[in-house]
Amino acid sequence: MTPMKWFWGFLKKYRFLMLLGLLMTTILSVLAIVNPYISGLIVDEVIQGGKTELLPKLIAVLLGITLIRGFCRFFSQVVYETCSQGVLYDMRDKVYRKLLIEDFAFYNKKKTGDLMSRQTGDMDAVRHFIAYVIYALYENILLFVFAIIMIFTVSPKLALLMMVVLPFTAYNTYRQSKAVRPTFQRIRNCFSSLNAFVQENISGNRVVKAFAKEDFEMEKFKTHNDDYLDAQLASSKVWMKYLPVFEVLSYALNVILMLYGGWMAIQGEISLGSLVTVNGYLWMLTVPLRFVGWWINDIHRFTTSVEKIYDTYTEDPKVRMPAAPVERKKMEGNVEFRNVSYTADDEDIVKNISFTAKKGQTIGILGSTGAGKSTIMNLLCRFVDTTSGEVLIDGINVKDLNLYDLRDNIGMAMQDIFLFSDTIEGNIAYGRPDCSFEEIHEAAVMADANHFIKQLPDGYDTIVGERGVGLSGGQKQRISLARALLKKPAILILDDTTSAVDMETESYIQDQLKKLDGQCTVFVIAYRISSIKDADLILVMDKGRIIEQGTHSQLVTQNGYYASAFHNQYGEIPSVDAVSEAMAERRE
Amino acid sequence: MARNKYDVDEVLEDKFDISQLKRLLGYMRPYRKRFLSVAFMMLSASAFIMLIPQFFMKILDDCIPAKDMRGVLFYSGLTLLAALYSAFSLRYKIKHTNLIGQQIIHDMRTDIFEHLQELPFSYYDDRPHGKIQVRVVNYVNSLSDLLSNGILNTITDLCNLVFILLFMLLIDVKLTLICLCGLPLLIFVVIFIKKKQRSAWQIQSNKQSNLNAYIAESINGIRVTQSFVREEVNTDIFNNLSNSYRKAWMKASMYNFIMGPSVDTISAITTSAIYVLGIHWMMSPDSTITVGVLVAFTAYISRFWQPINTLASFYNSLLTAISYLERIFETIDEPVLVKDAPDATEMPPIHGDVDFEHVTFSYEPGIEILKDVSFSAKQGESFAIVGPTGAGKTTLVNLLSRFYNVDSGKILVDGNDIAKVTIHSLRTQMGVMMQDSFIFAGTIMDNIRYGNFTASDEDVIRAAKTVCAHDFIMQLENGYQTQVNERGSRLSAGQRQLISFARALLADPKILILDEATSSIDTETEIILQKGLNELLKGRTSFIIAHRLSTIRNASCIMYVDKGNILERGTHDELMALKGEYYHLYMSQYASFV
Repeated sequence: MTPMKWFWGFLKKYRFLMLLGLLMTTILSVLAIVNPYISGLIVDEVIQGGKTELLPKLIAVLLGITLIRGFCRFFSQVVYETCSQGVLYDMRDKVYRKLLIEDFAFYNKKKTGDLMSRQTGDMDAVRHFIAYVIYALYENILLFVFAIIMIFTVSPKLALLMMVVLPFTAYNTYRQSKAVRPTFQRIRNCFSSLNAFVQENISGNRVVKAFAKEDFEMEKFKTHNDDYLDAQLASSKVWMKYLPVFEVLSYALNVILMLYGGWMAIQGEISLGSLVTVNGYLWMLTVPLRFVGWWINDIHRFTTSVEKIYDTYTEDPKVRMPAAPVERKKMEGNVEFRNVSYTADDEDIVKNISFTAKKGQTIGILGSTGAGKSTIMNLLCRFVDTTSGEVLIDGINVKDLNLYDLRDNIGMAMQDIFLFSDTIEGNIAYGRPDCSFEEIHEAAVMADANHFIKQLPDGYDTIVGERGVGLSGGQKQRISLARALLKKPAILILDDTTSAVDMETESYIQDQLKKLDGQCTVFVIAYRISSIKDADLILVMDKGRIIEQGTHSQLVTQNGYYASAFHNQYGEIPSVDAVSEAMAERRE
Repeated sequence: MARNKYDVDEVLEDKFDISQLKRLLGYMRPYRKRFLSVAFMMLSASAFIMLIPQFFMKILDDCIPAKDMRGVLFYSGLTLLAALYSAFSLRYKIKHTNLIGQQIIHDMRTDIFEHLQELPFSYYDDRPHGKIQVRVVNYVNSLSDLLSNGILNTITDLCNLVFILLFMLLIDVKLTLICLCGLPLLIFVVIFIKKKQRSAWQIQSNKQSNLNAYIAESINGIRVTQSFVREEVNTDIFNNLSNSYRKAWMKASMYNFIMGPSVDTISAITTSAIYVLGIHWMMSPDSTITVGVLVAFTAYISRFWQPINTLASFYNSLLTAISYLERIFETIDEPVLVKDAPDATEMPPIHGDVDFEHVTFSYEPGIEILKDVSFSAKQGESFAIVGPTGAGKTTLVNLLSRFYNVDSGKILVDGNDIAKVTIHSLRTQMGVMMQDSFIFAGTIMDNIRYGNFTASDEDVIRAAKTVCAHDFIMQLENGYQTQVNERGSRLSAGQRQLISFARALLADPKILILDEATSSIDTETEIILQKGLNELLKGRTSFIIAHRLSTIRNASCIMYVDKGNILERGTHDELMALKGEYYHLYMSQYASFV
């Protein structure tokens, strides 16, 4: 499949509508020739010939034709615009759907700003092509051919001689195409990187300000902004070279008419009247010729953009729905990892991971930074696929499961919390937009979020900024937890979900989670021992491997990584009495 | 202004302020000489080109009857010359109009971007980022053609119009007046659709902005979407937005499409009127209108309406552009709340004494986040801030960097009110590590060096070693040269924290703020890190927000913050002896072990 075929796939749907538009354009072009003819008649017959009785009729025809032309012009433009907007709508839809199924590998490579450019600037080039370039090109080709035919009927020799400019035109077209194409690619690339830079600057505005790097950002922006300017100017340099050639070629027709026509007239081969007639048609040749260069630009702008969009989205994601998926709307939540390894860029991220989690159990995962804890969960949700080994849920390999069923059964509160610029209610209900407010409230209570949400100016209707800006880290974590809980998933993953909440809140949340007992398999990734100490099984990871496993009481006595982490975090444990006393006071 | 989200249109006042056009002219000002020279070239070329029919007439009238081939050659040569001149002027025009157009949008984009750098967090927090983005890039771009070709063509068309009008007046005043009768008709059409057309384009730009905001958010939140299996719902929302954009576009462009045919029709009507009346007058005995006059006059009518047609289409694109222009200027006009005082001085090199004096602060009027907070930290002290989530801990340290202005009270650094020094001199001497660690697209080296561009590779590596990031960085395929991006690529949250930690250290700050800087870092690493840090922090003042109490046990002062106030302060031992909030918080972590 080529980019153009891909594009045609979209336009095909509107081909009849396009044809209707082109039909109207044809009428338009023909009528464009009739109007001057009528005017000519009025001048010749009525004004000079004195046949005043013809005037009302001619005027009526003139006005009638103008009205028909106006009608055709308006509706053909509406038709083209409808087609172009239709194609764009379909293309956006297709591209958006593709965006949603792309995997991690894709998003790790692509910048947000680049992806945005595909949807904005590039799509606009497509719109311009369908809504304008196609018909303008058609209309002018029509005019050109029509004029050549008319001139041919008057004087074949003159017509043939005028065709001499065509090879030159073709050659110049070819040269310009070749030269202008890379410049448009450069413009698209510069546009993309400008877009990507601006996007990043906006997203990272906090860091920029914290480091007072506004000047640096301005400098960097200047480079991108200048590059874009240079790319545009480099392109116009090419136009400068070729467009004037078309200008000369188009006026060459006037020269040919004067020179050869004049000579023929002197020789008596052609009448003066015929020369006047040919001169009348001449604009229909020169106008299209003069615009050839611009259309070359438009066409290349369009093809570059289509290629960009196509290239970004045709690569199929590696993680995809199996051909014959096993459907499991409601899973039990038994999880097993069998010798699972995952390698990315020749680096072992996790290696030989095996463990079993039974329905309703809580599994804690602890380990050093970058040990591969989150990767295990990504493998479970199939954000990435195993390099070797198997991940099984209820005895079925996750790669065989319907991808949507799989993810539907897993509730995940991620380490990087992303909230959408929507109300808090909308954010919590993200996984189940049609659930009742009671359910949202219940999930918020479980996540200990209800309390602070109610204190916000608009409560649950408070709009939070993109990424949840304006909320504290702990507040975001609790909203993200409520969001995961609302799904009532078979498997719940809490990836560092309580790191930014205080101890008391955490223990409250843990008590709440105990209510899920038996309903749901819970994975807790944490650095704080307090988050995982009650787990049925604790996996301790380092450098992609499981180095210790067991329950809290087993691991604490092992003198390994876990035990030392425990001591580091808790130091000397106060006496039982002191703690109970403090807790008793607390309750009062 | 309430926060904006993807499906909420941004409000904009209804009237277009003419001063905005003046501002636009301000952008064109530096290029006015260029504008004029291009306009001159274009006019002279078009005058030359207009002579071509005259040459042809000469050939027909004089040369051919006289069988004068030299005359034919002469006029053909002149035509060729006109063609070459026109080609030359086209070349000139392409060169300069592109330069002007691209320069203007370049300048405008610089202004909007520069202003964005000054706008406070709240500006970014209050609206989807996609909506800001589209203003800086797409809206500005859409102006380039209008501001170069559009305006130049308008100038030359206006000149042509004046010339033609003069010719017509010279031929016959009465007929010219009839021709001009069409203009009020056209103005009527313009006024009739103007308001609707303008608001249609405003709606269109709103819908476009909404759609872009949604795309940007979809890309950034893709993991959540996938894990919550929201693909179908999101596609529906997207298609709804996409469809309202399409509808808005169609509606707005319909108004534009009306213009062309309207001009054509009005032109046809006036032409007909001239034929009818002209012939009628010609018949009357005392008429000054002759056959020749009428023929000559009709030749000019079409030329008269042609520039008007292009002017009308310029008017169309102007209306489109204005809806973008308003957004651009609106952003540039957005008031900067946190800015240097007029008499701001440079912050002298910071020693590190920090005083909060009766500081009160609220994000939104009436909801005070901090109430009358006072404390002082001496150079070299480490202050820990603990307390429940949402207590105002982050706000407290954000005020110190002057990310927001206090409502009342003062914050002093070494006795200097931070409101009275330049923001740049203040922030460059402070290191802030935030809850969200943002990673820029680029290498890891670049990301750390963001803290201090003058740092050598060795400095960067030393900083990375201090925060225990060196080992994992070296394990990556290209070490420090490994490319990472905003979404962090393969880095775990803890690794990203370490990188931004190294970045903060590299800035060599006199005051260091660590806001949950180590929440995603394991305890082992944290302990090694703290050892290295202790060395480094000698003589520097630091503020640490943490929930893991082991992180802050050794702080010189621990402040327990809740409900916008400091409830307790003192060392770990003092607070434990106090048996207050901190004591309970501390003990509660053991509750489940005993």
